[in-house]
Amino acid sequence: MKVSLNWIKQFVDIPADLNAEEFGKLFTLRTAEVEGVHDQAESYANMVIGKIEKIAPHPDADKLQVTQTKVGKDTVQIVCGAPNIKEGMLVPVALPGSKVRWHGEGDLIELKETKIRGVESFGMICAGEEIGLPASPEGIVDLSSSKAEPGTPLSDALNLNDVILDIDNKALTHRPDLWGHYGHAREIAAILDTPLTPFTTDVKYGSGKDLSIEVQAKKECPRYLGVIIEGIKVQDSPEWIQEKLRSTDHSLFNNIVDATNYVLEELGQPLHAFDADKIEEGIVVRMAENGEKLATLDGQEHELSQEDLVIADHKKAVALAGVMGGDNSKVDEKTTRILIEAANFDPTTVRRTSVRHTLRTDAVQRFEKSLDPVLAEQALDRICEIILELCPNAKIITQKVDVKNFDETPKTVKVDLNKVRSQIGANIPAEQAEDILLKLGFQILKKDKDSFELQIPTWRATKDVEIEEDITEEIARMFGYENVTPILPKTPTKLPTENTERKLKHRAREILSKGLGMNEVYNYSFYSAKDIQKCMLPEELHIKVENYLSENQTHMRVSLLPNLLHNVALNLKNYPEFYLYEIGRTYEDLQEYFPKEEKKICGLIVRGKKHKGDLFYEAKGAVEELFSFFQTQGLELRKGETLCSYAHPNRFAGYYSKKDGTEVARVFELHPLVAKNYNLEGVKIGVFEVNFTELAKLGERTRKHKPLAKFPSSEFDVSVLMDEEVTIGEMEKQMSSVDKNIIESITLFDLYQGDNIPEGKKSCAFKIVLRAPDRTLKEEEVKKVQEEVFARLHKLGGEIRGLK
Amino acid sequence: MENELKKLEKAATEAIKAAKTSDELQNIEVQFLGRKGELTSILKGIKDLSVEEKKVIGPLSNDIKNGIIQKLESARAEIEAKAIEAQLANEFFDITAPGVARKIGKIHPMSQVQHEVENIFHGMGFTVADGPEIESEYYNFEGLNIPADHPARDMQDTFFVDKKHEDKHGRLVLRTQTSPVQIRTMEKYGAPLRIIVPGRVFRNEATDASHESNFHQVEGLMIDKDISLANLKGVMAEFLTELFKKEVNVRFRPGYFPFVEPGVELDFSCLICNGKGCSVCKRTGWVEFMGAGMVHPNVLKAGGIDSKEYQGWAFGFGLERLAMMRYGIDDIRLIFSGDLRFTEQY
Repeated sequence: MKVSLNWIKQFVDIPADLNAEEFGKLFTLRTAEVEGVHDQAESYANMVIGKIEKIAPHPDADKLQVTQTKVGKDTVQIVCGAPNIKEGMLVPVALPGSKVRWHGEGDLIELKETKIRGVESFGMICAGEEIGLPASPEGIVDLSSSKAEPGTPLSDALNLNDVILDIDNKALTHRPDLWGHYGHAREIAAILDTPLTPFTTDVKYGSGKDLSIEVQAKKECPRYLGVIIEGIKVQDSPEWIQEKLRSTDHSLFNNIVDATNYVLEELGQPLHAFDADKIEEGIVVRMAENGEKLATLDGQEHELSQEDLVIADHKKAVALAGVMGGDNSKVDEKTTRILIEAANFDPTTVRRTSVRHTLRTDAVQRFEKSLDPVLAEQALDRICEIILELCPNAKIITQKVDVKNFDETPKTVKVDLNKVRSQIGANIPAEQAEDILLKLGFQILKKDKDSFELQIPTWRATKDVEIEEDITEEIARMFGYENVTPILPKTPTKLPTENTERKLKHRAREILSKGLGMNEVYNYSFYSAKDIQKCMLPEELHIKVENYLSENQTHMRVSLLPNLLHNVALNLKNYPEFYLYEIGRTYEDLQEYFPKEEKKICGLIVRGKKHKGDLFYEAKGAVEELFSFFQTQGLELRKGETLCSYAHPNRFAGYYSKKDGTEVARVFELHPLVAKNYNLEGVKIGVFEVNFTELAKLGERTRKHKPLAKFPSSEFDVSVLMDEEVTIGEMEKQMSSVDKNIIESITLFDLYQGDNIPEGKKSCAFKIVLRAPDRTLKEEEVKKVQEEVFARLHKLGGEIRGLK
Repeated sequence: MENELKKLEKAATEAIKAAKTSDELQNIEVQFLGRKGELTSILKGIKDLSVEEKKVIGPLSNDIKNGIIQKLESARAEIEAKAIEAQLANEFFDITAPGVARKIGKIHPMSQVQHEVENIFHGMGFTVADGPEIESEYYNFEGLNIPADHPARDMQDTFFVDKKHEDKHGRLVLRTQTSPVQIRTMEKYGAPLRIIVPGRVFRNEATDASHESNFHQVEGLMIDKDISLANLKGVMAEFLTELFKKEVNVRFRPGYFPFVEPGVELDFSCLICNGKGCSVCKRTGWVEFMGAGMVHPNVLKAGGIDSKEYQGWAFGFGLERLAMMRYGIDDIRLIFSGDLRFTEQY
């Protein structure tokens, strides 16, 4: 919303020494954010009216012309690319030193004398959008009608001596009263504590034949006022209207349309003027029929539905209510009689129609905020006043026809000042609160020591102010938030319980990154249908995003892996090998309303093709270190049982809860097909996935000290040649059961298949450490264990090689 | 014999003094103290001496022997030290060659900042709460006083997911804010409450250097009998001061969010210029930080809390912004890039 201070000055005595910048800051603190303060005099420095005296073609460019333009006493040469320049035309000229926006885009650029394709140019002949005037799509702005002398500063010629406050529209979402200048004047008067000039009009309505207005959709149209004015002459608006509309970023049309826009800006009430001769019999406000067609003023044809509110005559729809007028009833140069509409429409209806037909207009922007129905009448009075002034022969021939379907009872609210003070946390005196509310237009109906009953002004009573808390806000902002002293609340004597899952998550990061050397990444929560195919995932488990942003982001992830595989491809450009992980949620559609959300960890160990060793074991080692840090208990490792399409079918294991069989983690190498699908055949990838939600349920066991061993250990190595199908796990199980009391550890330190080993066999070497807690082991004891170990391995089909 | 011994002592001492290498010292030791050495040969005559003489010569010869040993040892130590010194003096070592790599991995900067935020609030008595990321329209909007067709829904471009409609809950959306957890927590625990909710949220808007479709918010909620806006100012000033490790001031200005009333925008004093005005804070001296306000009675009601008895505030800020400010990250898209050249820096 652009607010012109010159306009405000018509209603409020603004102190002459008011610093606009400072005032902008104050308005930000009291009401809504001022995003910019534009002093026109500054922005139009070094810009003048120029008269194009001669035009010649550019010797080196077809689309450029070389002008001789009079810019005061001097005539200068300026190269111009716009097709609409003519000799004798008055144009805005930006001289070297002024700041313009090329083609209306990007930052302001300071102009310098320059050569364009070899021809010297002393400035620029401007289009509207290049110098902050309304856009001029035809090319250069034609200012011939200003009849100004060449060399006149542009700001003088166009009366550009205003200061414009640019206010954040979002900050006005809840303030229907601040979509016009008078509302701002009221607010500013309250902020500056200066009087506000009452808004008055003087119009004589006709008494003659009535205009027929029939409102069928009463809920959707709480108020509809209309009059017919005759003797209209459609022409350009006078300068006082043009100047205000330019300041507030409106394009100019003709005196009638400009007048409606003028009142829109002045009061915040959208109005519409129909050509009365194009309206048959009278106005009907009704819902559209399904399939009914209407072409709007912008030339677009819309197919309407029963949910669209239209303004119609007795034959056809003539406007999309509160959104845009119809082409069939528009005011043009031939118009002599107009029908003015000043109405109030239901915000939801207007908004829905606007969304449905993708038509966002100044009118929609205001109606959707819930406008005050009282405003419609004020606006009608005002526009009639203006049109009668613009067209001296005009006459209002009808009464002010007013169809009301709204509750005119004043709205009230009760306020307990002690509650207000306790909410703000400041001891605001009752007199000050009263003063603030009166300035803002509230009436005090009843007053006790610390309570009021208030009448809400109509311009604030539509949704904006309803309850005590709304009044708290009015008092707080005018009292000044800067006057509220920070107070730390009392800290509870007891710290709150920690969120265990969160704590474990941060711990997991410590282990994975600081301990295991892995790097954490973040990915989107979605991936593409292609990823589902490439990873061979079941599509039915996925939740689809309805209004996705891109084809790569259509499905909510059921696994963190696909996005991580994209990360692998990306990082291979810079690193030959690396380790990465992500902690995040997955989402599964289990045919219940809320999807199943689980927190997962997925870690990838990525190594080059030449790397020796199986990545499965690297991933396994990593995840087991994580378990060991958490002291996780009660898990058992089995060959992968759950469906896991992207895992290598043989190199895949799961960790399952011994209690209920839930899968807590899995370790695998990437399925060769999946690797191929992601063009990752040249790398080795080991993966672990942890269901963090399940892991956290197992909790973190507290650590307990174990006394350090007092007696020395004994150890021996055993090397065995075994059938390759006998697992290390089975061998370890057999060996450790020999004597659990004294076998402290069994460690595989060599595993070999290949040269010198018969086909189908493997060579394994273990180190076995023995220790008793209460004595030094005797040689016979060690010997006995050793023999039994050999016997067990032998039983498994092993051949003991070299004894040590 | 006494003289002979003293002569030997003198000769040995001189020889030791003159020795230059440990080999020479070894020879000296053999020459004087060895089994066939000079001392032994002198002492051969001891058996011919009288008892009186033996009493003198015995200790004397011992003293002389020990003295020589001592001198030998210190001479040896000196020679060895000199040898090491000489060796060190000649050795060349390049300290600029790289250290042997022992790499730790990095925690994503967002996780680091989030952890810090959680710790600071924990210290002020806040618990970390959690809620689903695929949320119902009811929790994400209606329950937060944002009915259908409310213009505020425009501010939050919402992702809808392709699922069935439910009567109370409406459609499912990717939550656009962490605020739905306010209601879920109120429903579950009632008042009083002090929680923060750091979590992932989604907006259906085109990405650029400062906008992402996935990002993180931290919601805060404090409900008790007399919690005020002044308390919010206090808590946030304390939080930001702790986080940035320097005195930070906060200010409120009016702001509109349907789930709070009064609603405020909270700015903090620019860390770069300390409030004097610079390009980072667009010359205002303040940096926009978050929306907040007193929880709207309709929201308390949706959470099952009696607004006559309890009141309090809620806030929500973007975590990416904090991380970006702290580390000077100029493009939000790096956060979700998965590029290790990014993570590795933190």
